[in-house]
Amino acid sequence: MGVATARCVALRGAVGHLIDVEVDVSAGQAGVALVGRADVALREGQERVRMAVANSALEWPSSRRATILLAPADLPKAGTHFDLAIAVAVLAASEQLDPRALAATLFVGELTLAGGLRPAPGVLPMVLAAAEHGIDRVFVPEPQAAEAALVPGTSVFGVRSLGQVVAQLRGEPVPEAPPVAAASGAALLTWRGQQRLEEADLADLTGMEDEKFALEVAAAGGHPLLLSGAKGAGKTSLAERIPTILPDLTAEESLELTAIHSLAGVLDPGQGLLVRPPFAAPHHDASKASLIGGGTGMVRPGAISQAHAGVLFLDEFALFRADVIDALRQPLECGDITVARQEESVTLPARAILVLAANPCPCGDYVPGRGRDGCSCPERVRRDYRRKVAGPVADRIDITRHVLAPTPADPDPFRAPETSAVVRARVAAARDRQRARFAGRAWRLNSQIPGPRLRDDFPVVAAARRRVDRLLYDGRLTARGAVRVLRLAWTVADLRTAAQASAPGAGEDPTAPPREDDVEVALRLRCGDPLTLPPAGHRPGAAR
Amino acid sequence: MSAERLARVALSVAAEPGDPTFTGLVRELGAAELVRALTENPDHSDLLSRVAGRLAGVDPRAVLDRAARSGIRFVVPGDDEWPTGLEDLAGAGAVNERGGVPVGLWVRGPGRLADLAGAVAVVGSRSATSYGTRVAADLAAVVGHAGVPVVSGAAFGIDYAAHRGALSADAPTVAVLACGVDRVYPTAHRPLLDHLAERHLVVSEAPPGAAPHRIRFLARNRLIAALSRGTVVVEAAARSGSLNTLHWAQRMHRVAMGVPGPVTQATSEGVHHQLRLGGAALVTGGRDVLELVGAAGEHLTDAPRGRATARDGLRVREQQVLDAVPVARQASTASIAVVAGLAEAEVDRTLRLLAGHGLVAEVAGGWRLAAGLECGP
Repeated sequence: MGVATARCVALRGAVGHLIDVEVDVSAGQAGVALVGRADVALREGQERVRMAVANSALEWPSSRRATILLAPADLPKAGTHFDLAIAVAVLAASEQLDPRALAATLFVGELTLAGGLRPAPGVLPMVLAAAEHGIDRVFVPEPQAAEAALVPGTSVFGVRSLGQVVAQLRGEPVPEAPPVAAASGAALLTWRGQQRLEEADLADLTGMEDEKFALEVAAAGGHPLLLSGAKGAGKTSLAERIPTILPDLTAEESLELTAIHSLAGVLDPGQGLLVRPPFAAPHHDASKASLIGGGTGMVRPGAISQAHAGVLFLDEFALFRADVIDALRQPLECGDITVARQEESVTLPARAILVLAANPCPCGDYVPGRGRDGCSCPERVRRDYRRKVAGPVADRIDITRHVLAPTPADPDPFRAPETSAVVRARVAAARDRQRARFAGRAWRLNSQIPGPRLRDDFPVVAAARRRVDRLLYDGRLTARGAVRVLRLAWTVADLRTAAQASAPGAGEDPTAPPREDDVEVALRLRCGDPLTLPPAGHRPGAAR
Repeated sequence: MSAERLARVALSVAAEPGDPTFTGLVRELGAAELVRALTENPDHSDLLSRVAGRLAGVDPRAVLDRAARSGIRFVVPGDDEWPTGLEDLAGAGAVNERGGVPVGLWVRGPGRLADLAGAVAVVGSRSATSYGTRVAADLAAVVGHAGVPVVSGAAFGIDYAAHRGALSADAPTVAVLACGVDRVYPTAHRPLLDHLAERHLVVSEAPPGAAPHRIRFLARNRLIAALSRGTVVVEAAARSGSLNTLHWAQRMHRVAMGVPGPVTQATSEGVHHQLRLGGAALVTGGRDVLELVGAAGEHLTDAPRGRATARDGLRVREQQVLDAVPVARQASTASIAVVAGLAEAEVDRTLRLLAGHGLVAEVAGGWRLAAGLECGP
C-alpha cells in the first residue's frame, strides 16, 4: 500500500491554483478522511468516487484507511471537478494504477455513480493554469475536450468514464462508454433573439449622425457612454449596434473572455474560442450577484465580466437598484471587479464598454424644449429621477448623448448611411494605433490610460491643454471630467488619423498628440453638446 | 429676340454679378442703351472701359444657344417668370459694394421663378452642428408641408439640411448659386444639385461657367433674401455669410428670423446678436416661421401652454377657499372660513361650487380635498 498524487486545479475567480490531490491508503480504521478545506460539493465527492470506482469494475480499498489531502491545505477549494483526480489517486495508492502514470497530468471531471464523467465549469482557466506549471497532458470530460484544446501545446484526452481514463493510463484498449451529457448550463432551447442582433447594422438607422459618431468613439477607445432621451428615440437600437462596429477580439481578449464564459458555465460546447465581442443587456431587476458576480459555492462571473471586451448595456439605468449602480464604480475605474465573499475575495476582468440608457423622466415622454410634451410626471418626481441618473456613476461616464427621436426629414436621399463594416474598419485602425502606442504598457485602450500617465506621457497640444484648464478653473469641468476629456481626445485623434490614412497606419505617428479640434470634439462628447459633423460625403472613407 | 434681352445677356457675361454700378446704370438707362453707350462712347472710367472691352468679345446669341443646349434659360425683367420681388433690391442700396436688381437670372429646372413669391429662405453655417442641421431640416419640412417653397444656397451644413428637409416633404426647393448653374460647388453636392435641376430649380446671377469666387457669394446672398418672403438663419457664427443674407432681408423689409442655439456655442453667436438687436424674430420651428411669413391669420400657432388643471378657471375668492381646505384631513365649514378669512355663508356657497367642479367633497362633519389634489399646486 502507498501514496499517490494526482493534479487538479482550484479556481478562485478566473485564477487557477494547481492542487495536489495526495492519497494515502494504509492499514488503520477502515474509512475515508478528506482534508484540505474542501467545500460541501467537493466533500460529497467521496461518495461519488467510491461508487464510481466500484461500478467501473475497479476496487475501492474499503478495508483500509484512505486519507485524501488537497494541498496546499490552506487554500479553500470548491467544486465537483476534483472527483476524477481523487479517483485516480486512490487507484494509484491502492496499486491498481502505476503512480508514475499520473505525473505531469491534469484530471478534471465530476463522476457519476456509474463511473461516467460529467463536465464541470471552468475547464479552460484550469487547463491554462496547469499549462503554466508545465502540465501538458489533461483528461477532461469529452464535451469539454475542444475547450481544453484551446490551450496551445497541450495533449487533451476527452473521456466519457473513469474506466476509459484507467485504460488510457494503463495503456490498455479503451472501452466503450455511453456519451456524456453536456454541461448543465447549456442552452436547452434556441430562439431567434441572437439572430436578430446578428442581422443588425448601423445602416439600419437613418440620420443620428451625431449619435453614431459617439458610438464609433466609444467603440474605438472603450469609453463608457450614456444615451438619454424620450422613450422610442432609438437608444436601444443604437446600443445594440455597438458590437457590430467592434473588431474581432484580440487573441489575448479572446482567451480571457472564453475563460470567463467557461467559468460561468455558459460556453457553448464545441464552439471554440469566442472571437466576437459579447453583448449583455441585463434587466433592471437584476441582482447584484448576477450583474457583478458572486453566488454560492464557486464565484460565478456576473454579466459585467461575461461582457468583458464587449458591451454591457443597462437600459432604464435609473431603475437599477442603488447598490448595483454603486458597484459599477470599480469596474469603471480599473476595468476589473472584486467580489468579496466571506473569506475569499476574487477579482475578475470586467472591461466591457458600459452603455447606459435613461429616459428623461419616469414616464419617458418628456421632450425638453417642446411646448407640448406628453410628460405627465410632476416636477418633483422628475427631479428625483434626474438625481438618480446624475450620481457618482454618471460622472464616470465619458460620453453623453441626448438622443432625439428620428423625424421624417432625417434620411439623406443622396447618401446612404454608412454600414457597420465601414465604421468597423475605422475602429479597427484606431485600435491598431492604440496598440502601437501602448505596446508594453499595462492598458490597451485610451479609456484605460491612468490619469497621471495621461498627464506625463500622453499630453495633448499645449493650446488644447489650456482650453481644458480654463474650463477647470471656471468650474465647468471636474478634475475627473478633465481626465475623461483628454482620454476622449486621444480616441478622436486616433479616429481622425485612422480615417485620413489611405493605408492603415501609413506614415502616421501613433504618438502624435491630439490637436485643439480633437479636444473640442471631446469636450462636446463629454458635455452632451451637439457636434459639428463633417460635411456630407466628405468624411474620408465614407460610403458613397 | 429683343435687343434688350441680348444686351442683358452681354452685360451678364461681361460685368461682375451684383456690381451696383452696372445694376444701377441698367435700371436707369436700360441694358440696350447702356451697351450702346459703352461701345460707342470712348470716354469712360477704368471700370467701364474694362467692361466695354469685354463686351466686344461677347456674342450673346451664341451664349444663349450654348446655355439652351444645357437646359439653361435666361430670365429678364418683363418675362412671365420674372419674380417681381427682386425689384425691391432697387431701393435696398448696397452692402459690401454689391447690390441692385440683377440684369437677369440664369435658371435650370422645371420650376417657375415667379412661383417662389411667399417662399422661405433657410440659411446658416456651413460647419453646422447636429442640432442646427436637425432644426433646419425639420423647419424646412414643416414649411414644405404647408406648400411653401424653400430657398437656400448649396453649401454644406444648414443649406444642405434645408433642401433635405423640404425634399422629405416633397416640397419645391431652390438652390441659388454663386457660380454658374452648370457648375457644381461643392462637388460633393452633385447629387443634390442634379436632383434640384431635374425636379425643381437652380438659379444664379452669374453666367454659365462662372467660378464660385468669394465676392459672388455676397452678391448671391441678396438674391436668396429677395426671392423669398422671409429669411431664417439657423446657425451663424459672428462673421457668418448667412448674416449678410439676413441684412438683405432686413433692408428689403422682409421677415428676418433667427433660431436660437446653446449660448455656449460659437455657432450661435451671430444669430443671438441679431436677436438681441431686435433685427430678427426668434423662431423655434417651421410653425413659427409660417405664422410670420403667412398672410394675417394664416398658419396661426397656439401659445405654448402647460397642462390645464382644474384650478385654472377659478376666481381669486374661490382659490382662497380652496387653499384653506387642509391637505391631509377634513375640516368644517367654520374652520375653513376662519383660515380663509371670509364669511362663513360665502365660504359655504363657494365650497358647494367647488364641489360641483370636483375639487372638494363633502363628508360627514365637513369638507376635504377631492382625490388627486393632495399634492398641492
